[in-house]
Amino acid sequence: MRKSQDHSISRKLTWMNMLVSGAALLLACAAFIAYDKLTFRETMVRNLSTQAQIIGSNSVSALLFNDPQQAENTLSALMAAHNILSAAIYTPDGRLFASYLRDPGGQMPALPSMPSGQTEIHWLRNGEIVVVRSIVFHEKPTATVYIRSDVEELNQRLKRYAGIAGVVLSVCLGAALLVSSLFRKAVAQPIVQLAEVAGIVSRDKNYSVRAAPTRSGGELAILIDAFNEMLGQIQQSEGALRKAHDGLEQRVQERTAELEAAKKEVEAFSYSILRAKDELERASKFKDQFLSTMSHELRTPLNAVLGFSELLTEERYGSLNDRQQRYVKHIHTGGKHLLTLINDILDLSRIEAGRLQLTIATVPVPLCFAEVLDAMRPLAGRKFQTLSQQAGSRLNVRADATRFKQVLMNLIGNAIKFTPEGGRIGLAARQIGELVRVEVRDSGPGIPAEEQDRIFEAFYRLGETEKSVEGTGLGLTITRRLVELHGGQLGLESQLGSGSCFYFTLPSAEAVETQEVRKSGVELKTGESARILVVEDDGVAAQLLQSHLASAGYDVVLCSQPQSALEMAAELQPSAVTMDIVMRPVNGWELLSAFKIDPRTAKIPVILVTILDQPTTGAMLGADEYIMKPVNKATLLAAVERCVNHRGRIGRTPSILVVEDDIPTRELIAELLSRHGYVVSSAVDGEEARAQVAASLPELVILDLILPAVGGFELLAEWRGNSRTADLPVFVLTSKDLTPEEKDYIRTHAGVLFQKQEPWQEALLRQLQRILPPVVSETS
Amino acid sequence: MKCGGYSDSASFLEKNRVGRLRHLRVAGAVCALLAAPNLCAQQSRPSEYQVKATYLYNFGKFVKWPATAPAGKSDSFAVCVLGQDPFGPILDATLAGEALDGKPVVLRRIPRPQDAMDCRILFISATEEKHLKEILTTLDEAGVLTVSDMPDFTRRGGIIQFIFEGEKIRFEINLANAESAKLVLSSELLKVAASVRKNGRSGD
Repeated sequence: MRKSQDHSISRKLTWMNMLVSGAALLLACAAFIAYDKLTFRETMVRNLSTQAQIIGSNSVSALLFNDPQQAENTLSALMAAHNILSAAIYTPDGRLFASYLRDPGGQMPALPSMPSGQTEIHWLRNGEIVVVRSIVFHEKPTATVYIRSDVEELNQRLKRYAGIAGVVLSVCLGAALLVSSLFRKAVAQPIVQLAEVAGIVSRDKNYSVRAAPTRSGGELAILIDAFNEMLGQIQQSEGALRKAHDGLEQRVQERTAELEAAKKEVEAFSYSILRAKDELERASKFKDQFLSTMSHELRTPLNAVLGFSELLTEERYGSLNDRQQRYVKHIHTGGKHLLTLINDILDLSRIEAGRLQLTIATVPVPLCFAEVLDAMRPLAGRKFQTLSQQAGSRLNVRADATRFKQVLMNLIGNAIKFTPEGGRIGLAARQIGELVRVEVRDSGPGIPAEEQDRIFEAFYRLGETEKSVEGTGLGLTITRRLVELHGGQLGLESQLGSGSCFYFTLPSAEAVETQEVRKSGVELKTGESARILVVEDDGVAAQLLQSHLASAGYDVVLCSQPQSALEMAAELQPSAVTMDIVMRPVNGWELLSAFKIDPRTAKIPVILVTILDQPTTGAMLGADEYIMKPVNKATLLAAVERCVNHRGRIGRTPSILVVEDDIPTRELIAELLSRHGYVVSSAVDGEEARAQVAASLPELVILDLILPAVGGFELLAEWRGNSRTADLPVFVLTSKDLTPEEKDYIRTHAGVLFQKQEPWQEALLRQLQRILPPVVSETS
Repeated sequence: MKCGGYSDSASFLEKNRVGRLRHLRVAGAVCALLAAPNLCAQQSRPSEYQVKATYLYNFGKFVKWPATAPAGKSDSFAVCVLGQDPFGPILDATLAGEALDGKPVVLRRIPRPQDAMDCRILFISATEEKHLKEILTTLDEAGVLTVSDMPDFTRRGGIIQFIFEGEKIRFEINLANAESAKLVLSSELLKVAASVRKNGRSGD
């Protein structure tokens, strides 16, 4: 390091010196030589010119008296001048009179013509100088002298100069070297030493070293002094810093100890919090589990009560007397009430626990109204009440469709309940700003002001003493909670004697033009469901039909242009076709005839759905079913089911395995299935089911999820993982409250899910008949 | 016109270049026409009296006349021919328009030596050989450059004598005679002379 520093600065100085002096010398020499060359050349020309003049003057008489010998004598004097290559004298008319050649054998060049008015010309060419001079004697041009000379002398001279310049240069460079070595001592050495000291300081952090002072004085001495002084200051402040640092370290240690103590406290505290959280979680989990178990444990026996009491009323196994009949009905009604109560309680507790998850979507209000009214109409019919609705056709709300309908049904149900026979119940909806206000108005007795606040409380029942009204007392509470979960408000306007109006608000939504194929009525997979083609040119009517059919699990295809219906049917080969009659441009009669004529569509069952009352004509034209508008959902589904099942199937005894640990439920299912012509085997737990499936593959399995030893989920996973059973149809029938994840799992891996808290028997049979038509079809 | 057109061109050295070149060019063209170059070369050689006429004129350039000489007072530079003229019109042509010593050259043909007192250069014809002594005596110290082509001219008191050296016309100088005539001859002239005598006249 020292070496290289030394090198760098002194070498730089040396180079600088040498470069400057060398460049100056070179420039000077070059300039001098160039100047000398120029002047020397001029001198040469002048000399030659003089020589020419002398020769000319001396040769005039020889020329005038025609004595070339004499002239040549004169010329031969040029021998003394070594540089002259040749010379000649010409007569004024250009004739060569006498000549001289330094080297014999040379040739005289022709005389160049002299420009008029000029006595002399000269030129330098090919390293030779030529001078031509005209000699005037007695005012007359008497002769022309030509002299040619080489520039050897000039070259010699230049060579000599170059030599001298070289010597001077080397001497000067030597002097420069000497000077720079002196400088090195005076300038470079102290700087190098300074750099060395700086290196030690930065490397070892040793601030006690000092640079040696220089003798030379000047800026360098100032620099070194300043550097030393700076080092002193740094040393001083470093000492102070170190002291402060030591103090700081101690303080940090103290503080760290304090923090450590505080941290321990916090850890202890957080540990206790964690424990509390664990306990809470355990408690919450226990509560969830309790609810889940409750729902299962309560519903399972209740299902048996309901199922068997219903069987008894059918009197299949012996008739009952009136009293027995009445008692069994009491059992059935009580069971149903209990089931509703349990469902409501569980619903409410789920809502209160915040575990109810809504599937919010854009829901068309008129469609929901139609569905709900359709469902409620039989109930109202029993009391001869009028149901009416009024809603803008493009009104949409953002809501969970199922829950929205549940709210509507609860309110309408209440209205039906409390309105006397022959009363009116109106359903209306309208847009208010960004909300949609839905009203259920009845012509009932009204609610007294003092009770209006209390009716939303759980188990509060209007007119406690009135025995004619049945209910759980939870409906309005649940309804209110559901509306609030949607971000809306449930309210009441009523006056005693002039009816009541329950209203609620929901956020409105933009109209969605695309028709969503709705299959949410029953949560099931429709991969193998029957396809129904709906030919209907009225949009609302078509949507209602689609909604009904989709809720039963059918794959619905809409056709709004009757003229293209035939081709569509021929291509799709649906299980059945519903057809309106009043249509343009082709009416239903024509279309029906066309269907029956075309061999591709002749065998597809056709259901006429119309306001016309001409069933005979329909039958004559080949319609399989005839339904009058307004369409009753049950009638429609029954008709469609008949058509679908009548399509030719090959008779075979389908065997169904029922996996159910609860004996009454198992027996109930078996009874239900065998009554509809299915061969049923059963397994009481997961292990037995596994063994039975392994021994003989059934055509379908009805599976409970909660089983001893091996659970339903486990079995399902096993079967799906095995290629032999991967396609085995499995219906899941359970009373377990399922999480959305579990529902998803079942939808992906099983196919159809029935929950015992809902009326499942009919739905189960419908699905079953669609997938597996029974051999012996009995009327249902 | 033949190549002989040169007969009127008395000087082959002294004519100005332009005129000379023009003659050469004309001659060359004629020669080319006649296709006889050797003839032209023969003809281009100047005749004896052409050369002598030119020399006669050129002598004037190398001689210094004494200021006291009667010729020096004249307004012209007289070149005289004594006796029967051998030059004919050649000398007239040679001297026509020339000037020497700052004065126009005039040619005079004189019958008697007395007439030559104001001449600068006097050509004494060979016909006057018998009267030479008398002529030279007349001109003694008169500052006249005497020139002749008669034999032994310089030995007999003349200054410049034309001689033949082979075919070439040269001249002899008698420096002593020139000195006695108070004339200064240039060394240049002496340099090209065939011989220079320094003794006085002999045979007197």
